[in-house]
Amino acid sequence: MAERALFAKTRFQAKESRLAYLLLLPSVACILGFMVYPLISVGLMSIFRTNRLGWLQKFAGLENYYSVMGDKEFWQITGRSILWTTLAVLSKTIFGMVIALLLNVKYFGRKIARMLFIAPWASSVPISVLLWSWVYHPQFGLLNHTLKMTGITNNPPVWLGYPLSGFIAAIWVDIWIGIPFMALVFLAGMQAIPEDLYESADMDGVNAFQKFYYITLPSIRRILQISTLLSALWTFNDFNSIYILTAGGPVNMTDILITSIYKNAFVYARFDKAAVMAIITFIILTILSSIYARHYFREEN
Amino acid sequence: MPSSVVNPAYVNRAYKKPAVAKWKNKFKPLVIFLTMVFLLIMLFPFFVMITMMLRTSQEVYITPPRWIPQAPTLKNFVLVWSQYLLAGYFKSSAIIAIGASALNMLLSIPAAYAIARLRFRGRQVSLYLFLVVQMFSPVVVVIPLFKTFARINLLDSYIGLIVLNAVFAMAFSIWLLSGYFKSIPKEIEEAAFIDGATRFQTVIKVILPISAPGLVTTFIYTFIAAWNEFLFALSFIQNQTKMPLTLGLYRFVGRWSSQWELLTTAAFLAIIPVLVLFYAIQQRLVGGLTGGAVKG
Repeated sequence: MAERALFAKTRFQAKESRLAYLLLLPSVACILGFMVYPLISVGLMSIFRTNRLGWLQKFAGLENYYSVMGDKEFWQITGRSILWTTLAVLSKTIFGMVIALLLNVKYFGRKIARMLFIAPWASSVPISVLLWSWVYHPQFGLLNHTLKMTGITNNPPVWLGYPLSGFIAAIWVDIWIGIPFMALVFLAGMQAIPEDLYESADMDGVNAFQKFYYITLPSIRRILQISTLLSALWTFNDFNSIYILTAGGPVNMTDILITSIYKNAFVYARFDKAAVMAIITFIILTILSSIYARHYFREEN
Repeated sequence: MPSSVVNPAYVNRAYKKPAVAKWKNKFKPLVIFLTMVFLLIMLFPFFVMITMMLRTSQEVYITPPRWIPQAPTLKNFVLVWSQYLLAGYFKSSAIIAIGASALNMLLSIPAAYAIARLRFRGRQVSLYLFLVVQMFSPVVVVIPLFKTFARINLLDSYIGLIVLNAVFAMAFSIWLLSGYFKSIPKEIEEAAFIDGATRFQTVIKVILPISAPGLVTTFIYTFIAAWNEFLFALSFIQNQTKMPLTLGLYRFVGRWSSQWELLTTAAFLAIIPVLVLFYAIQQRLVGGLTGGAVKG
């Protein structure tokens, strides 16, 4: 009897497994077809010599990798990618934290302020970036006009005309897009902290900064980790801010890895070089997303 | 606690509380002031958009520029339709976004159900896989996809973009949906089984109706992602009539000069649908992205 029940159970489980695989088949097939297969294809491209159309010509081994890594520009672009990601994520975290703290104070109109703060995230990114390109316009743009009007500076730069100011202009747009997510997540975390903690801190005569450092920050530590990782992935991956604003120019001086891959392939038709950079980017992103996945599952369980 | 017993902590708190409130009140003006400053910064390009779309082209190109248009006008909202292929861009964006969302649902509902409700070997691995795939960078694979699409005539076609947008939003959708399915009590499903319903009937008649909010969130999420997509459109679409809004507007901008009063008007119109949809689902989105760390 017990044996039969056990048998029935395993049979039921086998049936359940089969159904599960069947249900997962379409989505897994899509991942294989549209992500894994192209990835292998890029991998192949990176170890072959390619022609102007991207067709594989001759096996090259690691030659393409050597030539990319021997190129000074590649290291500049990789360095810029890292700088881009670090600076932007740091700024998003700080701005997001300040805004979350502001929104965590109860006052009339707080809900509306919260709604308005999300606008850059809610809006269409490529279109927002287009708007910024007009905001940055040296002659007719309202940014430089406002900077002059308010006396912040009399000599605002031609934002998109030079490497450094172009980089600052682009990274600011990326930061601007990323702030709302951070603020929202931090705010949600802060609102989950029990009020009692602050009240007893008040009784002990703790000041605002200490309260932030000893109560708020430790309470949202987990959220801080997950959201900065997620933000790092998005930031590293941001194609739109740079491509739409400066297209990596002048002379590739504002390129990051993501835009450089695209330009090497579709503008310069250097497919082998693009493939090598794509594989390197893939490795960096996989490391980042594995860390993210690990943190996420620690939350779940 | 009997009311006769007085906890010293409560006495203390009752005594201290007004002081705290006073402290908070003192800082409230500062908080409101800083909030205003940050809002001005965060909404800056939108202010620019609004002031630009309400003026004539003569007023766009003046030095020094002006914040307030002298002769505000709404005629751009008429002009923009005739001077642009705007209607066509809207149509393309709508077809791609709706198509991608629908296809995405077809792909992710079964997968999400399997992950939420069925026991099978490799469940944990597939969860991990979907989470990592969510971060997959389109730029990494855009080159071979371009080659393949060129070979099978999917360049300049809606189908190519529909499929790609669906697939690249799929992992997150499965993630969101399986969360919803998991939150449905098993008893409800079991009751249906006992009544003689098959699994398929149970899913259609019980699970899906209950998780309607989750389905809507997932649909809207994919819709927004596809509406805002730029890289694939830029790489695969050359034909003016097939361009979605993001690409159409990008192509319209000459580097230094173009009709910005019309472009800002078009941008305004293009943003409205996603803005509305985004506000509808934002709370649930935050929860989905950060897992247990934040309750959405």
